[in-house]
Amino acid sequence: MGIREGSAAVEVRELTKRFGDFTAVDRVSFTVGKGEIFGFLGANGAGKTTTIRMLCGLLAPSGGEGSVAGYDIIGEYGKIKGRIGYMSQKFSLYNDLTVGENIEFYGGIYGLTPGEIRDRSGELFAIIGLEELKGKLTASLPMGWKQRLALCAGLIHDPAIIFLDEPTSGVDPLSRRNFWKLIYRLSDMGKTVFVTTHYMDEAEYCHRLSIMKGGRILEMDSPHALKGKYGAQNMQEVFLASLKEGS
Amino acid sequence: MKKSLAAVFRKELIHIFRDKQSLFMVLTMPLMMLLLYGYAINLDMRGIEITVSDRSLSPRSGELIRHLEATEFFHVTVAGGGVSDVGDLFRSRRAQCVLEIPGDYADLLAAGKTAPLLLAIDASDPNGANFIGNYVARVVSLSFGERQGLFALEPRIFYNPDMRSAPFFVPGLIALILLLICALLTSIAIVREKETGSMEQLLVSPVRPWQIILGKVLPYTFLGFLDGLMILGAGRLLFRIPVEGSLLLVMAMMLIYVVTGLSLGMLVSTIASTQAVAMLATVSLTVLPSMLMSGFIFPVSSMPPLFQLVSRIIPATYFLEIIRGILLKGNSLADLYRPGGILLGLDGILILLSIRAFRIRLE
Amino acid sequence: MGRIKALVIKEFRQIRRTRAYLGLIFVAPFVQLIVMGSAITNEVKDIPLIVVDGDHSPASREIINRFSALSLFDFRGVADSTVRADRLFDRGEIKAALVIPRGFERDMGRGLSPQIQVLIDGVDGNSAGVSLGYITSMAGEIQKGWIGSRATGAGAEIVPRFYYNPGLESKLNFVPGLIGILLFMITSMLTAINIVREKELGTLEQLMATPLGGIRLIVGKIIPFTVLGLVQFSVGLIAARLVFGIPVAGNLLLLYFMALLFIMSTLGLGIFISTVTSTQQQAMFVAWFSMIFALLLSGFFVPVGNMPPLVQKITLLNPLRYFMSVLREIYLKGTPFRYLLPEAAAMGGMGIGLITAATLRFHRRLE
Ligand SMILES: Nc1ncnc2c1ncn2[C@@H]1O[C@H](COP(=O)(O)OP(=O)(O)OP(=O)(O)O)[C@@H](O)[C@H]1O
Ligand SMILES: [Mg+2]
Repeated sequence: MGIREGSAAVEVRELTKRFGDFTAVDRVSFTVGKGEIFGFLGANGAGKTTTIRMLCGLLAPSGGEGSVAGYDIIGEYGKIKGRIGYMSQKFSLYNDLTVGENIEFYGGIYGLTPGEIRDRSGELFAIIGLEELKGKLTASLPMGWKQRLALCAGLIHDPAIIFLDEPTSGVDPLSRRNFWKLIYRLSDMGKTVFVTTHYMDEAEYCHRLSIMKGGRILEMDSPHALKGKYGAQNMQEVFLASLKEGS
Repeated sequence: MKKSLAAVFRKELIHIFRDKQSLFMVLTMPLMMLLLYGYAINLDMRGIEITVSDRSLSPRSGELIRHLEATEFFHVTVAGGGVSDVGDLFRSRRAQCVLEIPGDYADLLAAGKTAPLLLAIDASDPNGANFIGNYVARVVSLSFGERQGLFALEPRIFYNPDMRSAPFFVPGLIALILLLICALLTSIAIVREKETGSMEQLLVSPVRPWQIILGKVLPYTFLGFLDGLMILGAGRLLFRIPVEGSLLLVMAMMLIYVVTGLSLGMLVSTIASTQAVAMLATVSLTVLPSMLMSGFIFPVSSMPPLFQLVSRIIPATYFLEIIRGILLKGNSLADLYRPGGILLGLDGILILLSIRAFRIRLE
Repeated sequence: MGRIKALVIKEFRQIRRTRAYLGLIFVAPFVQLIVMGSAITNEVKDIPLIVVDGDHSPASREIINRFSALSLFDFRGVADSTVRADRLFDRGEIKAALVIPRGFERDMGRGLSPQIQVLIDGVDGNSAGVSLGYITSMAGEIQKGWIGSRATGAGAEIVPRFYYNPGLESKLNFVPGLIGILLFMITSMLTAINIVREKELGTLEQLMATPLGGIRLIVGKIIPFTVLGLVQFSVGLIAARLVFGIPVAGNLLLLYFMALLFIMSTLGLGIFISTVTSTQQQAMFVAWFSMIFALLLSGFFVPVGNMPPLVQKITLLNPLRYFMSVLREIYLKGTPFRYLLPEAAAMGGMGIGLITAATLRFHRRLE
């Protein structure tokens, strides 16, 4: 399968992951369009991280099929990796490198030339606002800045799609707002953003949203449509109501 | 207070038992080590590659060669016309020694004189070279028949009459394993908590720091102790290691030594920031010194006096003396007050040092 | 290439930031080499000895004098009874005792060939054997002196010549061996921990979400540790030359080439360990045990030729065994490459095999 121009950024059908006899992700299907901000909402253990890992080529699916950035997630997962950015749930850049060194490192890993790294990181630092912190040891950064740094590292190779697994957990409200501004900018730049979250206010910001529980997708629509469906004032109510219905 | 100590203890036990892979290793690796040490360490040389450069080619030289061939020590190759390049034989490792029988060998013997036999030995292993020299000399002198002496020697070997290696090494192995489990595992267990941040969590709880440390350390103590007993039991069954003295005394001494390991581990853990550093430091501080400088294999008394001082500050030196004393010589407490006292003293120093280091860390 | 370079640079930065590494990788091995290289020897000397003299005759006094003059023994005096000797043995204060019986000189005069009892502490079987050897040959010499040279008939005398180490100095053997041991320790342990650490911290997951690939990742890990290993090796060579005055008899370039092959195999081992374990604690434990096995089965303590056949076969799996003989061969004997081909092939093969196995195990996906 080659790159299918014009097709969706992410498309999966009946995607399933089993660990032994435990099914963590159970036949989920969805499509994410280019430039869309697609949110994954769900309680702990719902299977969000597992789904993202399968999409990023980190885990082999036990069943189903799908494509990311036009590549098959089963046969071509190696190719997917060059086209996506990934920010894992746990902060996982090197604490014993400086901010600049981390970025330089990931630039190198994605095969960028030193010149490209310089240009690209200059651009990103300006957008994200990390410029002054370049020489600081990553371990010394506050959580909010660490998350931005991780985002920056995930964007260094200008991926078409970026997967953010709970990018704002443990971050103060102001930093969270700023982070979401960044996400919007990315979307404006035409990037597809796939984001998981526990925060209801963040859920509101997504173009489209799916609510997961026990490895299955219960609801999937725009926040507005979902509120309409449940006659709810806010996402909190939608979430609780959908979970109740789903069980 | 006791309860919180118990809680930490229980938590660490859960850690150990949940990690089946580690537990399996902690319990089986020492046994494998015992087997290998028991069977592998054998200081008697056999099958020495000897090339005889026979320039005499006489019945007398043939007789000498047959004598060499008749022993199990040698694997004889005869170079009829003599050997031209001894160095090449050594470098290609086709021979460990070359015996040169001169052309006039038979004539000298016929004239009732002493014939010189040049023996070239590859001394890149000096110890082996020494053995080889002695063996060859003995075979040669036996081949001429032994003369009745003025007096005779009647050797009596104490404690280990067959001069076997196993009774010597197995007690040493106990020392090594105790140190490994206690020092390495505890230092890593503590540093891991520091690295993952759960140490902080524990420190804010009402548990006292010493309780945390003790609670973490005790399960490993227990494991180390178990391993020590296991080796002792297996060594007795497989290699007939004697237990001449009191088993209770062995265990008491093991306990003292365990404390040594623990305090070393604690000391390292308070200083090291990552597990990797902790491990390298523990290995540098324990493994090599305890294996090479304590008398585990190489006799301390043969070391230069200055370096004997180094081995005097290594706890393993004393523990080895103690445990070999009890197991092989049947020593009682009265014979062991000196090494026992020093070991206790070293323990005290190590504990003080690690408590100090821990305090400084907390501030 | 650029990707590997990025990894290598990152690795070096991390190593540099861990300040303790400097001490642990370069200083500690250096100190250990110097201390242990000077200290350990398997010569047996200064054997504490007493003589129990039951005869008090000129003959027994001569025996005492001869033994007390010999530097191989640490003469601790004359005792009157074996009871005292027993007690000294139990306390570990003596390792050997000679018991000269009453009437010794008289019986000798009558040609009765009286027996001198030689009591030896056999705890250390090897030392006991050597001590007995010393005592036997000393006794032989004393007898020879008493008999005089009149009675020698036809016979042969061994004239030994020791190649490569005429003084039979232990350090010529142990110092090169220690260099190998220290190199093994540092390189295999550091790598064993390194990748598991990234697993534990989660940084490996982040790396695996990039198009880096297993082979590049492993190559990127091998390069920095190879460099570290070579630097450490050089420090060892310099110390051997300057502190112990041991020059390399053979080709230095060949020695480095062999060291490179050896480092490949130890790094392969380390990386392999890190792919089969899931926590640093496990990795270290396995690495530690591998080290002890490797040490024991290397020929450093006991020549491989002395081991039982089965154990000898097991040693074929030990990279340190090959490097140990390579070190001794090149260092002391100046052996050329053609005689070291089997060792080179074994170390290189092991390195490639282990690294390949690790790469294969190390899928680009998480389990
Ligand atoms: N490697 C694994 N082996 C076995 N079970 C796993 C594994 N990874 C995840 N699981 C299980 O799969 C389920 C889904 O996990 P997942 O991490 O995808 O949840 P999540 O929605 O991301 O939760 P959270 O909000 O806590 O991050 C959980 O019950 C988890 O325990
Ligand atoms: Mg998750």
